[in-house]
Amino acid sequence: MAKFSRRKFLVATGWVAGGVTALYLLRNRATAVAPTIIFPDNASGGAWLQIRPDGVCRMLFPRMDMGQNANTGLAQIAAEELNVKAHDIDGVVPSTNQVPPFAVTAGSMSLTAFSRPVAVAAATLREHMRARAAAKLNTPLSEVLDAEGGFTTADGQTVSYADLADQSDVLVEIDDAQPLPALYSFDASRSKRQVGHDVSPLGIRGLVTGAPAYSADVPMAGVLYGRAVQPPVRNAELAALDTAGLDQVQGFIQLVHDGDFVGVVCKTPSAVDAAMAKVKVTWRLQQPINQNEIDQLVDVDAALAQGELKHVLQDNNHRKDAQWQVDLRFDVQVQSHAAQEPRAAIARFNKEGPQRLEIWTGTQDPFGINRFAAMDTGLSEDEVVIHPQRMGGGFGGREHYEVERDAVRLARAMGQPVKVQWTRADEFTAGRNRSASTHRVRIAADAYGNLSDWWYAYVTGYVTFARERLPSWLLPVVRLGDDMGVVKGAIAPYSAPHQRVECKDVDLPVDLGVWRSLNGAPAIFAIESAMDELATQLDVEPVAFKIAQMRGTQPRLQGCLERVRDLSLKRELPEGPGYGRGYAAGIYDGRCFVAVSADVYIDPQSQQIKVLHMCCAQDVGLAVNPDQLRAQIESNLAWSIGMALLEQLEVGDGDIQSSNFDNYRIPRMSDMPSLDIAVIDQPNIPSTGAGEVALVAGPPAIANAIRHASGIRPLRLPIRYADVVEGQGASA
Amino acid sequence: MKLNVNGVEREVAGDWLNESLLTVLRDHLGLTGTRFSCGIGQCGACVVHVDGAPINSCLIPVQKAAGKAVLTIEGLAAADGTLHPLQQAWVDENVPQCGFCQSGQIMQALALLDTTPEPSDADIDQAMSGNLCRCGTYDRIRKAIKSAAPKVQLWEPV
Repeated sequence: MAKFSRRKFLVATGWVAGGVTALYLLRNRATAVAPTIIFPDNASGGAWLQIRPDGVCRMLFPRMDMGQNANTGLAQIAAEELNVKAHDIDGVVPSTNQVPPFAVTAGSMSLTAFSRPVAVAAATLREHMRARAAAKLNTPLSEVLDAEGGFTTADGQTVSYADLADQSDVLVEIDDAQPLPALYSFDASRSKRQVGHDVSPLGIRGLVTGAPAYSADVPMAGVLYGRAVQPPVRNAELAALDTAGLDQVQGFIQLVHDGDFVGVVCKTPSAVDAAMAKVKVTWRLQQPINQNEIDQLVDVDAALAQGELKHVLQDNNHRKDAQWQVDLRFDVQVQSHAAQEPRAAIARFNKEGPQRLEIWTGTQDPFGINRFAAMDTGLSEDEVVIHPQRMGGGFGGREHYEVERDAVRLARAMGQPVKVQWTRADEFTAGRNRSASTHRVRIAADAYGNLSDWWYAYVTGYVTFARERLPSWLLPVVRLGDDMGVVKGAIAPYSAPHQRVECKDVDLPVDLGVWRSLNGAPAIFAIESAMDELATQLDVEPVAFKIAQMRGTQPRLQGCLERVRDLSLKRELPEGPGYGRGYAAGIYDGRCFVAVSADVYIDPQSQQIKVLHMCCAQDVGLAVNPDQLRAQIESNLAWSIGMALLEQLEVGDGDIQSSNFDNYRIPRMSDMPSLDIAVIDQPNIPSTGAGEVALVAGPPAIANAIRHASGIRPLRLPIRYADVVEGQGASA
Repeated sequence: MKLNVNGVEREVAGDWLNESLLTVLRDHLGLTGTRFSCGIGQCGACVVHVDGAPINSCLIPVQKAAGKAVLTIEGLAAADGTLHPLQQAWVDENVPQCGFCQSGQIMQALALLDTTPEPSDADIDQAMSGNLCRCGTYDRIRKAIKSAAPKVQLWEPV
């Protein structure tokens, strides 16, 4: 079975035609739920790399690019192993029939999980080619030395991969029971030419010249335009449908109504707008949607009043009645992904050929979409193929069968390809948001500030166990366990002899899902705010205080804090009222370390809080591409400003009020401060991911700077100007 | 009707006369480098130049562009493929992350440099404040505009 399937993929990629390909085995199959969680092993990379007959390395990218440019980092690793340049690699985004299933692109796991399989496959190819070179040059293997794009010998003979490649398919077996070839990428003692260097993102030229890249750019003969009505929440049911006047819309072709699905198909895009304006759906809600309902559901104090919370994450000699020196409640509001690209998909049913349904879409989980489209249509998974496109931002929000469903159902009804372009309002209405949450942090310390008791409790919505991510029969079972999204960030890096952390996860009346850093940013906002408050009350320098309370257990986080303090001190904070500087540190997912400082000004003239300058020091192991690490940090700092000061999904009475960038503010250029960033490289430690790391420390750094500037502790995100001048926050 | 895009006369079919300039460019003429993001002129992803002025192409009916010169991101590089200095600066600074907003950013920056050859930070903030970038590439955009500015004045496409 493995061999047969393998051949199927090779035919689909055209790899059977020629070249040298590393062999892989199909060991894992996708599970029946979203998202796809199959992590690669040492042999998996064989599916993604080949030396073409012309000697060029072709790479089928196993990650979905949405701005993090993870495939550029993986190409650097392959290039390092093969002694070529990353930009010489022929990178291709594979369709789902061209490679075995791989995991959803999420959780900042791309380099963590995929670096090694890519390196193993590339090194295996390299060593196979070295053996060919030895035979061709009639030289002992040990005397065939690496050279750019091939090999050389001490007596000056050279041979390129093109000289050694095959016109027909040759398979190289990766057997991870045998010793692996030397992996150059992770050898800290080696001087490297690709890994550790600033390489431009692959495909950057296309991005600055307007080349087609995203789903809606795909040219499609005979395409029609359609859109479906998005309910305010996924479990709403259609109660009434009014389509008066729809027939009169110029360019309107057909209404598609099936159960709770209502959509239109038209000849042109603007006709869809006009047609949708005539389609009025009344929804029957299972749970009232309003802000008050959300506030009550996530009220941590109400939950604690009823006793122990559902999940106890840490419990060491807890003392409920310690002398709490800090006892603060923090509230975080619902936030939207608001990616720059509103999602789009094209679906086409084919009357002939093995692929009965093709979908062009930007998604973090192409194999998940493949499965769900098969389930939705009754086709087999092999009859459906997804052609993944670049995403104009993902941030965790593009893992589900949604815009694809709309395109599939409309295309099936029409018997013609249909393109569905969500509007910005659709994005806000139907996005899967970061949950609201509330947090109670209590800290007791002795006279010297040494922590004696720590009690952190919080309530938030489900993240990875959110409704409809899993079948309804499975939900009650999995929800007995810890939701990996909910618990992120909950364990503080500080030591206390008496420590308790507990949480409760709940269903909210708005759709929730994975949002950049998951619960990491809300939890660490609460923890770092509380620690800063204790430092302020003790009148001690916050960075030294936090480092002391780590008690030597967090050397990498300590290194980040010390570095960011040095960076921040390079710039003098302006004197005068309204200026403040704050620090925060955090660990994302137990593996990525970061510290951030923020300088703010609370401006009474404009009645705005302005972030003037931010510094960041981040340690995520081996820095494969330092410039792209910096880019991810910049992005996380911009998001920190949005989360701390601007963003809140407005919930109305029965619907979502936020509909566009005029009523959901995200950072603009004028909100962006100057930045000073340090990437702490750890050549001996595998890369641990960077896509959502600095966001855990940015918001509390801003909040702590506001505390420093105003004397008022921000207790609610987003922080509004009025909160810190009128004293809605707790005054110190 | 006829539409002059990047120096080429293009025919707009009758079915498309009630569309916006943006949807005609993208879905009728296949110039997909100009992107749809908000639809209400709040984000700048769809900025093109009409008779030299930057406009949000999502907001104007295509018929209003008849007889005028439309410049899109596809018309910026030289015929031999040499990138415009702004595009080259975007590459040199590794500006794009997801990339979706960058066509609009570059077209807006071009308009800024047309009127303000040596922009200050405040000029840049002011001119670019209508162009959103969710990835937060603003700091690099600032740097790219500044490094491109002197070269843009000398640019003569082949």
